[in-house]
Amino acid sequence: MKLSVQLAPHNRRGLLLNNPVMTASGTVEYGTEYAQVVDINRLGAIICKGTTLTPRRGNPQPRLAETPSGLLNSVGLQNIGIDALINEKAPIWATWLVPVIVNIAGERVEDYAQLARRLEGVAGVSGIEVNISCPNLARGGMEFGQSPQMAAEVTAAVKANTTLPVIVKLTPNVTDITQIAHAVAEAGADAISLINTVSGMAIDIAKRKPFLGGISGGLSGPAIKPIAVYMVHQVSGAVEVPIIGCGGISCTNDALEFIMAGATAVQVGTANLVSPNAPVEVLEGMERFLEREGVEDIAQLIGAAKAP
Amino acid sequence: MPGTYLLWVMAPEIASEAQPGQFVMVRTSEGYDPLLRRPLSIHRVARGEREHGALALLFAVVGRGTNWLAQRKEGEAIDLLGPLGHGFKVDPPPRNLLLVAGGVGIAPLVFLAQRGIAEGHQVALLLGASAKAQLYPAHLIPPEVNLLVATEDGSVGRRGMVTHLLADHAPGAEQVFACGPISMYQALADMSRKGMFEGKSVQVSMEVRMGCGRGACYGCALETKSGLRLVCKDGPIFELKDLIW
Ligand SMILES: Cc1cc2nc3c(=O)[nH]c(=O)nc-3n(C[C@H](O)[C@H](O)[C@H](O)COP(=O)(O)OP(=O)(O)OC[C@H]3O[C@@H](n4cnc5c(N)ncnc54)[C@H](O)[C@@H]3O)c2cc1C
Ligand SMILES: Cc1cc2nc3c(=O)[nH]c(=O)nc-3n(C[C@H](O)[C@H](O)[C@H](O)COP(=O)(O)O)c2cc1C
Ligand code: FES
Repeated sequence: MKLSVQLAPHNRRGLLLNNPVMTASGTVEYGTEYAQVVDINRLGAIICKGTTLTPRRGNPQPRLAETPSGLLNSVGLQNIGIDALINEKAPIWATWLVPVIVNIAGERVEDYAQLARRLEGVAGVSGIEVNISCPNLARGGMEFGQSPQMAAEVTAAVKANTTLPVIVKLTPNVTDITQIAHAVAEAGADAISLINTVSGMAIDIAKRKPFLGGISGGLSGPAIKPIAVYMVHQVSGAVEVPIIGCGGISCTNDALEFIMAGATAVQVGTANLVSPNAPVEVLEGMERFLEREGVEDIAQLIGAAKAP
Repeated sequence: MPGTYLLWVMAPEIASEAQPGQFVMVRTSEGYDPLLRRPLSIHRVARGEREHGALALLFAVVGRGTNWLAQRKEGEAIDLLGPLGHGFKVDPPPRNLLLVAGGVGIAPLVFLAQRGIAEGHQVALLLGASAKAQLYPAHLIPPEVNLLVATEDGSVGRRGMVTHLLADHAPGAEQVFACGPISMYQALADMSRKGMFEGKSVQVSMEVRMGCGRGACYGCALETKSGLRLVCKDGPIFELKDLIW
């Protein structure tokens, strides 16, 4: 049974994963603590917390609000910054078998270019995921993912400064996701991941104020899965590059929906917070599914639900 | 304590490692709603027979998650992650420990009292509640503990806030440990500013909304005097003097 997938077929280095199951950015920090509770070498890849040029403190409390089968967060991209990531985390990653992909975010196009430059040649880093979809940044972040021109500009800037495979992560908070996907694919993205969180808000009726410290936040979890599956379906029909599906995946069947909609790989996010072993369980269920259905290569399932 | 539940769970791996002040993350649904686990302090571990592997949770029903948990019947399985966080730090030579509990804040302090006595400390517990009916039952507290009670309505013990008992008892203690509502910590911080705890360690258990409970999501970050801290991983126990009010 073949589970391995190539996420960057046109990149010289390539990004070959042993299997299509990854952890989503922001839900396993830098993977180092996670590695103590989960057998991370079972996974396809680890994607670390969104990282900026300088450390960020993030938003005030409360940062989390639960919604029906969902989670609204306004963490605000709290992170240790690229220097600490390179000096303290990458050396640990370099000893791992599982590839680590660094999620980067910025407020200016030049931030992304510089981040990519800094990561070039760093042992322990196997790829870059460009977050042009963070709803919790005052400037930049999601704005880049909402305009095809800006999205292409950021993608091109990163590509020009790295030989690493580049995944561009899209926001669902747009009118036509296929336009953005086209733009980043044209600009050289090796793969596209979607979706980041859906913008949302909650009100504290006792205080008559926004509930979250960051006023609005990003919705994740099972509540957003149908939105994400549909976007994967749309985008995989529109571009040639591999698609990584993400949004509400909690079990194997969820992951298979994304793959059949056209995703080559998947990311598990919010479900990790509830059950750290969720990605491993998703993978094990996938193995059982392939076995039971007599599927020899996961590739046979990619886009299986597309109209003939 | 109407509305408050004591739940014993067989969880040998957690019980054998648990330290007072640590917590578990409890799933409170079978599906995805409510989605997140709920943090609950480890209330006690089965005494003298730790291989027995039981631990207790004490919780107030305040919403859907705790309500779901209160409906569990004997023999059912529940899903716990733990032990999580850093517990109370008790300095080694046997000393006088002063525990201050407000309402359901007694939860982690009974475990601390158990452990403190086992390690040869003198333990005094200031136990407060709104009224007699809301008071944690005295017979569940280790008999070696010097128990002092305050109720807001005066139905038993001293009338008023539990912190009013501190003036008499803080001077004799080397370390203070507190768990209760934020208003109680604010009262402690006021007393601290007035010099009540000069040179003493005062440790409190902080409560914020948690996502993962183990440092993965940054949902529980708290600004302290020594920088941004994660309540789940760096806490939930903090030195009172490190907190910002
Ligand atoms: C480290 C830690 C240990 C804890 N130990 C205990 C314990 O031993 N016993 C116990 O009874 N409780 C404890 N709590 C509190 C407990 O986790 C919450 O009461 C519980 O999560 C509520 O879940 P629910 O689904 O019943 O309520 P929800 O439906 O989530 O909320 C009910 C109400 O409580 C409010 N609320 C919920 N959580 C919080 C919060 N964190 N801060 C402020 N307001 C909140 C909501 O706004 C709402 O009004 C602890 C909390 C922490 C962080
Ligand atoms: C607490 C939290 C923090 C997140 N942080 C980031 C981040 O730093 N960078 C990023 O690209 N996405 C971030 N995300 C988005 C997730 O990676 C993912 O795209 C989204 O949550 C949808 O997937 P899910 O429903 O499986 O969680 C975060 C999500 C959550 C819940
Ligand atoms: S609750 Fe997730 S980091 Fe503390």
